[in-house]
Amino acid sequence: MKHELKFTVNGHPYELHIRPKTLLVQVLRDHLGLTGTKRGCSCSSCAACTVLLNGMAVKSCSVLALQAEGAEVLTVEGLARGPELNPLQQAFLDHGAFQCGFCTPGMLMAATALLRETPKPNKDQIREGIDANICRCTGYNSIIRAVTAVANGEYQEAAK
Amino acid sequence: MVYQCPVCKKISSAGLDLARHMIGRGDKEHRDWISSRGFKYSELLALQFKSFGGEGYKALAEVLEKETRVEG
Amino acid sequence: MSTYSVIGKRVRRVDGPDKVSGRAKYTFDLVLPEMLYGKILRSPHPHARILSIDTSKAEKLIGVKAVVTGKDTLGRKNGIWRRFPELCDEEILCRTKVRYIGDPVAAVAAVDEDTAEEALDLIDVEYEPLPAVFDPLEAIKEDAPQIHEGVELNINVTRHIEWGDVDEAFKKCDYVREDQFKCSSQAHMAMETHCAVASFGLDGKLTVWTSTQSSYYVQRLLADMVGLREGDIRVIKPATGGGFGGKFELDSPQFCASVLSMKVCKPVKIVLQREEEFTASKRRTPMYCYSRLGAKKDGTLLAKEIRVITEGGAYTGMGATCLYLTGFFSSFPYRYPSYRYDGYRVYTNTAPTSAMRGFGAPQSTFVSEGQLDMLAADLGIDPVQIRRLNGMVPNHEVPGQATVQSCGLPECLDSIDQHLRQRGKLPPDHGIGIAAYGFMSGGIFNWFDTPYAFSAAIVRVNIDGKVDLFTGACDIGQGSDTTLSMICAEELGVALEDIRIHAADTGICPVDLGAWGSRQTLMTGNAVKMAAADAKRQLLEFAAAKLGANIVYDLDIKDRHVHLVDRPEKGFSYYDIVKQAIRGKDGEAIIGRGHYTPHRKGMVSPAYSFGVQAVEVAVDRETGRYKLLNVTTAHESGTVINPVGIEGQLEGAIMMAGGYGFCEDQPMDDGRILNPSIAEYKLIRSLDMPETKILEIDTYEPEGPFGAKEAGEGLTNPTAAALGNAIHKAVGVRINSLPITPEKVFRALQDQKQ
Repeated sequence: MKHELKFTVNGHPYELHIRPKTLLVQVLRDHLGLTGTKRGCSCSSCAACTVLLNGMAVKSCSVLALQAEGAEVLTVEGLARGPELNPLQQAFLDHGAFQCGFCTPGMLMAATALLRETPKPNKDQIREGIDANICRCTGYNSIIRAVTAVANGEYQEAAK
Repeated sequence: MVYQCPVCKKISSAGLDLARHMIGRGDKEHRDWISSRGFKYSELLALQFKSFGGEGYKALAEVLEKETRVEG
Repeated sequence: MSTYSVIGKRVRRVDGPDKVSGRAKYTFDLVLPEMLYGKILRSPHPHARILSIDTSKAEKLIGVKAVVTGKDTLGRKNGIWRRFPELCDEEILCRTKVRYIGDPVAAVAAVDEDTAEEALDLIDVEYEPLPAVFDPLEAIKEDAPQIHEGVELNINVTRHIEWGDVDEAFKKCDYVREDQFKCSSQAHMAMETHCAVASFGLDGKLTVWTSTQSSYYVQRLLADMVGLREGDIRVIKPATGGGFGGKFELDSPQFCASVLSMKVCKPVKIVLQREEEFTASKRRTPMYCYSRLGAKKDGTLLAKEIRVITEGGAYTGMGATCLYLTGFFSSFPYRYPSYRYDGYRVYTNTAPTSAMRGFGAPQSTFVSEGQLDMLAADLGIDPVQIRRLNGMVPNHEVPGQATVQSCGLPECLDSIDQHLRQRGKLPPDHGIGIAAYGFMSGGIFNWFDTPYAFSAAIVRVNIDGKVDLFTGACDIGQGSDTTLSMICAEELGVALEDIRIHAADTGICPVDLGAWGSRQTLMTGNAVKMAAADAKRQLLEFAAAKLGANIVYDLDIKDRHVHLVDRPEKGFSYYDIVKQAIRGKDGEAIIGRGHYTPHRKGMVSPAYSFGVQAVEVAVDRETGRYKLLNVTTAHESGTVINPVGIEGQLEGAIMMAGGYGFCEDQPMDDGRILNPSIAEYKLIRSLDMPETKILEIDTYEPEGPFGAKEAGEGLTNPTAAALGNAIHKAVGVRINSLPITPEKVFRALQDQKQ
């Protein structure tokens, strides 16, 4: 029994037929090959699978793909424009805000959602914004510095 | 007066020190010697971690003082 | 004054663009045509005999392609201490007996994960449960169940270190303290769980993509276990999502995927679920410690005796190394005239314990730095002062064990002292505790029994000046690909973007032992530097003829400019000389080779780094809760190759080591880990993370590439100890068991009131 799913991922429209129990993360990774979105657990407690669903940060392992019907999904693959990394990605590079990189896609999406909602977050707001996301390598502070740098306008948005 | 380890010949100046050495080494030869004198090695070893290791050692030290004394 | 062009610069990581764009491919992401998905059936019993395994129902399930048990293996026992066969004790797929909850008994390959999972439920295993033992102090009793045949009292390994006359020295002490401590376990919790894709072809060759800290170890150990020649196995490490010591032994996904793939001649992928990762991969070693410390009235340390009994779990793994290093680092970073360590590693029916970042030293640092603070307080001596009085200095010899060359501990102590003064008087119930530490830059002792150099590198200079760097070193996130590329660029005199690194693929890279024991910057760095120098010399031979230099050593390359060292203006472009040199060599690309094996540096490590950390806490006396406010670390690691990398290592270590002191634990009930999920396993998240400050101390290590040494694991050592000392400073209670939970602090405060 397959259901139809129509939605947009990173600006591209998709039409799929999927089993109703399929999770959003499975559709992204296994059906669309967008493996940037990671899974670090199966109980929505590590947030490595964070994507934006209609602009809201969600853990894509706790969302059924069918719940994304008609929605716009943004994953880490949708942040850069061609070869041009976006400000947050550049700031992550400059501040060493990643090491193994496995949590990075989720971290970037959580930070993206935060900056959309609160363009000038203070340190505590940044800490709260990424508190669901586990990083075992960096100790978070470099991530906080990177997000702060973007919020302070140190990185100009690439030409749109 | 010194005491010599009956297994590896290490010299100690007190029976208690030698007892600590023998339990500490804990290889089969040392263990066998300790067992041959009627002690339970595992109990002595456990004592090292559970208490600060007085009584269990003292009993072994007494035996060692009798048996391993050498002129030094 | 640094004259380096690349080293010490704040560069973007070479793997950075892929990682921030989601393009980096991990083993976890890998999909091959015809690939099957594997799952592992694990023992529900801590100790049981396997009477029979019936796989027939599972095999009949539609979509199942293969089921394997221990009977499908060669029945060999795996162990990374290859030089000592008695320590190779893990079948991985158990044939007759299981020894912990999670021991693998069968594996399935199917068309998808759900089918494989369903098949596991159809495998009937008949067990005869055996009496089990979980605590090392119980396991050493004569009447305890024997976990491995022939191992008396379940004592797996013992280690003894001794120098000086300890007993005599204690008699000369004015003051002696005896204390007991208990150190807990900790999960590596790498974000990418253990995983592997194994593909066996009809040509009889096996390729394994896996998340590992050492592709060479996996290749060699797999060869032993599946009966192929080393050369018939190619191990490739794609991007790897963390290791922390948990990924350099042969693990169950690698072995089971290989066995399954060899049966069906199709690729098989196995990814551990997070719960399996917690319960059935290895973990930090819990231990009971007894420590006796003696000093003169003025604080001069005269003697130390430490005894340790560790919970080994079911198998040896890297446990023998951990046990030794706990003993060795219990003496760090001080000059003890006499010292004795007796360590016992005991088999128990619990998940095996093994290497984890810090390698036995976070435990010993918690014990020794806690006790030293107590002793200093008893004698009325300032904590910084007692460390200064006894701390290691450059060119210190640890009797019979090791030679320390560079050592910046005195400067680190000065720096922390200044930090403490700057903080001045603290608010009530706040406290700053300090802990000093040292750590090795890779290990010397060849327990793996490899005939290869410990590190090796090949540098290939192509016609357009681009450089290919080949090394077996493994970047698991710590940034070795960047660090090694920087070393290569600096030595060769080119830019970082001229280098393309090809690492950790046994098919094309020279052998390197991999990422463990903080070895790669120094050891692989030396090999890379040598290979780059070799390539450079070949280029300069051509340049010498052109420039009319007396001898090739008068020449150098820097910033892609080939020149006379004394007259830098006289020279020409690197690109020109590359073209000519290759033409002149029958058209062969320039190939430089390098290797490094430590020698004449004692038996532990070629170099040691040092530091002192100050942890500030605020304690709530009513509840025992406390907050980590600030962690300031004075740290020296020789020449800093990659400053961004060091910041990351330091801050990341505080998250992990702070977690070890603060909240991380693996409580058990009859051998079952009670919190095997990220929701239940408490670790430091961004809201709990303290402010961090680094006070970098400048040193130069003669043995290291450009003077560099370790900067990865040592930083994991001090935090739990400094945290314990800080709590004591804040509210006067001393917690000698890890982790230091609010509950323990609360109870100690209650006792204090009475």
